[in-house]
Amino acid sequence: MSSLRLPIETDHLVLRPFERGDLDAVRRYHTLSSVQRYVERPTRYEEDVAAALAVMRSQVELHRPGETLTLAMVRRGDALLVGHVSLKWSDATAGQGELRFAIDPAQSGKGYLTQALTAMIDLAFDHFRIHRLMVRCDGRSHHSIKLMQKLGMRLEAHYREHALFQGEWDEELHFAMLDREWRPTAKVQDLPMRVRVA
Amino acid sequence: MALHPDFPLQTERLRLRPFTRGDVDGVFAYRGREDVARYLFDPPLSRDECALAIQQRATQTGFFEEGDRIVLAVETAHDGKLVGEVSLIWRSVEARQGELGWIFHPDHHGRGYATEATNALLDLGFGPADMHRIFARCDARNEPSWRLMERLGMRREAHFREHGLFKGLWDEEFYYAILRDEWLSLRHV
Ligand SMILES: CC(C)(COP(=O)(O)OP(=O)(O)OC[C@H]1O[C@@H](n2cnc3c(N)ncnc32)[C@H](O)[C@@H]1OP(=O)(O)O)[C@@H](O)C(=O)NCCC(=O)NCCS
Repeated sequence: MSSLRLPIETDHLVLRPFERGDLDAVRRYHTLSSVQRYVERPTRYEEDVAAALAVMRSQVELHRPGETLTLAMVRRGDALLVGHVSLKWSDATAGQGELRFAIDPAQSGKGYLTQALTAMIDLAFDHFRIHRLMVRCDGRSHHSIKLMQKLGMRLEAHYREHALFQGEWDEELHFAMLDREWRPTAKVQDLPMRVRVA
Repeated sequence: MALHPDFPLQTERLRLRPFTRGDVDGVFAYRGREDVARYLFDPPLSRDECALAIQQRATQTGFFEEGDRIVLAVETAHDGKLVGEVSLIWRSVEARQGELGWIFHPDHHGRGYATEATNALLDLGFGPADMHRIFARCDARNEPSWRLMERLGMRREAHFREHGLFKGLWDEEFYYAILRDEWLSLRHV
């Protein structure tokens, strides 16, 4: 497999690894409670953001299962950092991956996440040879749910009160997509034996 | 909540009790079968493996900490015949979650024994064990199992496709769940 070529360009965005200088931009959205649910370590306070950024800066390739690739969503033109997208390679033998994302609410509703996630789905299936991608959504996050439907993801799970999150009963949706469901006309791939990631 | 229930649990036609050493042949009669093991995690067990499993189960009779399981032999009340087993696992202490499981001898399918025994475990889970939500899962092709979940009043919460490999093939799995309030209204409590 050829090595990963970064940055990735979409119509309005450049997806690139995080840099030291991104701290102020990350602070704008990373401490929001809606973001906490989808980050590896909580950043409820501004002091935590630098450590979170350090983790994201280190997530630049997928060599082994368990690793995550995280890319900053940077607007073309003015280079404004609007959020991030990540792909976790969760399981090697079954080719499983998980997408996560977060956006500065001031920049949502402009189609940026659709572009960034589309690029990440392409990357997961075409470059990393993932077999199935999943995304978790808060059951109350109507924006995310609509976004998943727009991307053509299937609702696979709707858990009610299966866990506590920040002291309250949680509701969680899982959306998923198989490689053959993504732009199915563009490729023909045999199942179940296939080339694995890396 | 730590829990050490008094056994047996009695239902209309059944007794649910801890396993004993005398159950090896009874367990081997169903756990040794290919058809019974088809959708189970374990392959068919040898008689020795059944003996070992029973040794382990003799201690699985209460909840002390997260991950503990109560595994009970199910026998008919009128003649004490072992017809299968049911289990309840304490999956989360904080969120009060439990998971149900069941395996019955094919000679005793189709009589509502599984429904009757599992309902007793739901009552134990939501009653003395004070659980908030109880779930169960099965292979999507295991229709007797998910029909049992529907008889119990559980809702299908998840339908996973090809999220893993099971016995060398792509797995397809259902999750069903029931909340404490739903159980209360079923029992008209
Ligand atoms: C899953 C399993 C326990 C279901 O067994 P089952 O016999 O279908 O379930 P029950 O004992 O509740 O019996 C229900 C059936 O008995 C009938 N029945 C007869 N008398 C009844 C009564 N008094 N009450 C309820 N149902 C009754 C029901 O109509 C139903 O029949 P149907 O399926 O033809 O509609 C059994 O198939 C099994 O052990 N499978 C192998 C192990 C396994 O796969 N375990 C689950 C892994 S996830």
